[in-house]
Amino acid sequence: MTKTDLTLGDRLQARGVSRRAFLKYCATTASLLALPPTMVPHIANALESQRRPSVIWLSFQECTGCSESILRSNTPSIESMIFETISLDYHHTIMAASGHQAEEARKIAMEENWGNYLVIVDGSVPTGNMGYSTTAGESNIDTLKHVAEGAAAIVCMGTCSAFGGIPYANPNPTDAVAVSDVIKDKPIVNVPGCPPIPAVMTSVLAHYLAFGELPELDHLNRPKVFYGQNIHDRCYRRPFYERGQFAESFDDEGAKKGWCLYKLGCKGPTTYNACAVLKWNEGTSFPIEAGHGCLGCSEPNFWDAGSFYNPLSTATHLDAGTVALAGAVGVGVGAAAGAAARSQQKKIKAAPAKAFTPTKAEEESQ
Amino acid sequence: MTEVITKQEREEAFAMFYGMAASIGELADPAPEMTDEERVERAKEVFLKGIDNNVAVQLDACLHCGACAQACQFFIGTEDPKYTPIHKLDLLKKVYKRELSPLSWLLKPFTPDITVEDLRNQVELVYDSCTMCGRCNMVCPSAINIGDLVSLNRSAMAAAGLAPAELRYMRDGQEADGTIFGADEDLFMFRIQDIQQKLGFEIPLNKKGADVLLMTSGLDIHLFADATGGAIETLHHMGVDYTLATDAYEGANFGSLSGYDATKKKLTKHSTEAIEALGVKTVIVPECGHSYPALRFGAAEAMGRPVNFEVMTVSEYFGRAVMDGRLKLEKKSHPKPIALHDPCKVGRWGGVFDEPREILKACGYDLHETESNRQYNFCCGGGAANFLLPSADKLKRVGYRVKMGEIEAAGAEELVVSCGSCRMNFEVGKVKAGDSIPVESLAAIIAAHLPKKETVEGDKV
Amino acid sequence: MTLLEFARGPALQWAAVIFVIGMLWRTLGLLLMLRSRPLSKDRKKGLAGAGVKTMFSRFLLPKVFAKRVGFQYLLGWIWHVGFVLTVFFFQVHVMFFKGLVGFGWPALPNSVVLPVAAVSLGILVILLVRRMTNPMLRYISNFNDYSSVIVTILPFATGFATFTHIGVLPYETLLALHFLSVALLLVWFPFSKLFHVITVLPSRYILGVKFWRRGVEA
Ligand code: HEM
Ligand code: SF4
Ligand code: SF4
Ligand code: SF4
Repeated sequence: MTKTDLTLGDRLQARGVSRRAFLKYCATTASLLALPPTMVPHIANALESQRRPSVIWLSFQECTGCSESILRSNTPSIESMIFETISLDYHHTIMAASGHQAEEARKIAMEENWGNYLVIVDGSVPTGNMGYSTTAGESNIDTLKHVAEGAAAIVCMGTCSAFGGIPYANPNPTDAVAVSDVIKDKPIVNVPGCPPIPAVMTSVLAHYLAFGELPELDHLNRPKVFYGQNIHDRCYRRPFYERGQFAESFDDEGAKKGWCLYKLGCKGPTTYNACAVLKWNEGTSFPIEAGHGCLGCSEPNFWDAGSFYNPLSTATHLDAGTVALAGAVGVGVGAAAGAAARSQQKKIKAAPAKAFTPTKAEEESQ
Repeated sequence: MTEVITKQEREEAFAMFYGMAASIGELADPAPEMTDEERVERAKEVFLKGIDNNVAVQLDACLHCGACAQACQFFIGTEDPKYTPIHKLDLLKKVYKRELSPLSWLLKPFTPDITVEDLRNQVELVYDSCTMCGRCNMVCPSAINIGDLVSLNRSAMAAAGLAPAELRYMRDGQEADGTIFGADEDLFMFRIQDIQQKLGFEIPLNKKGADVLLMTSGLDIHLFADATGGAIETLHHMGVDYTLATDAYEGANFGSLSGYDATKKKLTKHSTEAIEALGVKTVIVPECGHSYPALRFGAAEAMGRPVNFEVMTVSEYFGRAVMDGRLKLEKKSHPKPIALHDPCKVGRWGGVFDEPREILKACGYDLHETESNRQYNFCCGGGAANFLLPSADKLKRVGYRVKMGEIEAAGAEELVVSCGSCRMNFEVGKVKAGDSIPVESLAAIIAAHLPKKETVEGDKV
Repeated sequence: MTLLEFARGPALQWAAVIFVIGMLWRTLGLLLMLRSRPLSKDRKKGLAGAGVKTMFSRFLLPKVFAKRVGFQYLLGWIWHVGFVLTVFFFQVHVMFFKGLVGFGWPALPNSVVLPVAAVSLGILVILLVRRMTNPMLRYISNFNDYSSVIVTILPFATGFATFTHIGVLPYETLLALHFLSVALLLVWFPFSKLFHVITVLPSRYILGVKFWRRGVEA
């Protein structure tokens, strides 16, 4: 039996994961995906019997943070097992093969699974100079285009592939774009975050494995179950917000008392992600719990939405210079209007008074 | 006091006079003919001339809060929205916005020009339904000078040939012979001689270098001789070096009320020159509301330079004399509570408040103040020559009712007024409403409280 | 660019630019107009002092008018106080101004500002309804009046929706609408009767001087 032929059930057994633990995982996944408990056996069944679908992982302009986040859990979790379940036929960061061998592997995987394989992308796609980012001499955009052609669906892992992310940030020197800007004819799931939460990622894959289709998505193609609510609405510091109790600096009394971080620039109110619920590192904590405001990393353009430390209620483009310039213009227009009115007044005063030319009665009376 | 006119004589004169006043509209020359364009052009010219920085700021300060309506007798009495004071300035606002406002560049395309229709509709608003009393000025949170700006509107109407016939008649008459109601020099002399006869001493006329010039008005000459007589008697009693003048006896100025600015200026200039020729130090204008501001604040404007004589109204002059002891009045018992009407033009627009009150106190009256008094006083209902407009009859009754309501609420059984046209309006109002409260002239009251001559002469010895 | 980015960025920026230009334009234009001066002698001295006095005495309603105008005056008073407290002393707003001018000031607790803002909003709605139903007010009102009140109501309404996060719209949309409504207010301000901020006090001064010249306290 080759490695590819093993089902997840077989592999779990081989790893010594108990059936109980596996069912618990399935139950968790179901609840994460907001599925009813009756679906748990179906998920378990599907996952256990699934043969490894072929997955091609493309990394473009990225920092590898997303891969790190997902692959490097500090204990070997069931989540990571999911990755072992899939046939990761190409991931140039972690695959053993390299160079032409690696490209060969990708080609074979594509041919064998044409129309059925999943493509996972991390990193944004440069559209400027094609030399900015290449793999084996091929520009990212070309790779993406022809790999996507035979894909069943594309999962954009992280904000860079989903929305352009950091490479896309002003001034965007590589003219980076999101995957969805290049590929228009394939189902795309965005799993943004910088990086995304591992459980979100795996749950999306689990959903695909179990049901053969993608979960329900929002207007930004994000799975609704994870990105349906903003951080603010689920934040445990929310009561302080309501009462207007804000930390003013990172080490003041308010900060120590765990008050709301809005004034320190928290973007929780405008950020849709599951951090406040799932948290990070196996549910240990999340940024706000660690005392730092949310950066809004799962939102498009989070890098350019004003300083991380400016409250949401501040204007982003307003500055004294603009206002001063406007003031100068205003003074100019005002002076012109005033001068116009003055000269109009003088003109009226100086003009021979029509109204006081004698009327008939006046003439007679004189 | 020596009675210069009996009550019966006065009532007869009043009836006759009222009959005459009611028909002056028909006597007026036809309105000047003008094309519609000319009317609009002339009205606009007046408006624009009248808008200076102060007016602009005030027009731009209105909030359309409607408070002014609640101060105006005509709105209070009718609850008719069109009588809201600020509405009377809408036309002016329109011209301002279009032509002169700093935002006119922006607003012009959205602000249609005024039309002759607008002007015609404006006539009732600024004549019949506004006496320019200025009470609305006092409630406005932005302190907008609506009263004065209505006056500017009247000027515009007059320039556009749209002033009511009655006021045209009055103004044409005064333009011709300087006085009103045909009270020409002959009639003036007749009245003075009549008063002289009754008072029993000679009334100085045209005395150069006198200290004080006493003016009168056509209305007093015809009707309220008691007011003129009272003032003369008191001046004589006080031993003041005074005079009357055949060249400057008419205090009324129907250029001012009708909106004919040129006439207003001409009349004031004429009086001022005569006054300066006489060389008097102080001029007492008669008990005639508008003649006070017309001379007090108008003389310098008409001459284009400051003038160096004082102008006082009757109540002011004698009130001051009472206050600084130059005039001692005899306290009498007056069991009936009395109310005082502050005529708008000498009160709210002239600042004469304490003086008449001091006089009444010195006479021993029990003054019951109306709820609105001094600068908050209600107009009699027929000020600013409205008592001459038959078209405003309904509104005058409304104004009278509002005023009389306050007088009744104050529990007064007698009313004292220091303005002939207020008196006119009260008298007519009384007849129409069947009221019977006596309305007295303050000047006559003063004269009635002069101590017996013997005592004074004894003092002098 | 999302709606919120637009609102926080260019919208507010341009609105502020228009606001500043408009305010200076109209103020300077008025200031530069010619003024006629009276020639007659004043009845009283101390005109400027009297003008200043009227500027402040008009904040109070003379007693004779209380019956007819008292309610309206009271509403006006509460509204303006509420407006100032809400705009300048709400925590989140102080942050806004701090972002703008570089320094902040103590804010009022939310438990104070929120009811105040609610009352202010309520009064504005009452003023609007009054304007639409009272025959006299309806008669004298024009587009400027209605629009100015509505444009002033909007930031309050959207502010409440944003803060309490009620309503069907997501927070960032509400926040964006709040910013946009403020932008609209700023744009509308100099060109509408809201400009009374600048004119009311000088207008009172003018009448105060005019009447004191005649010996009358206005
Ligand atoms: C020096 C500052 C200000 C003064 C002296 C002032 C004065 C006034 C006055 C006297 C009124 C009329 C109240 C009444 O109906 O009796 C008024 C109304 C109003 N003011 Fe102000 N105001 C000032 C600032 C502001 C500001 C900053 C705003 C901001 C938007 C504002 C908005 C309004 C509104 C919406 C009304 C109601 C208008 C209506 O009833 O249609 N005011 N103001
Ligand atoms: S810390 Fe951030 S997410 Fe939490 S309540 Fe405050 S603003 Fe909202
Ligand atoms: S009271 Fe003053 S501000 Fe209010 S509507 Fe009348 S004129 Fe305008
Ligand atoms: S001046 Fe007097 S009569 Fe005219 S609108 Fe004002 S309150 Fe009414």
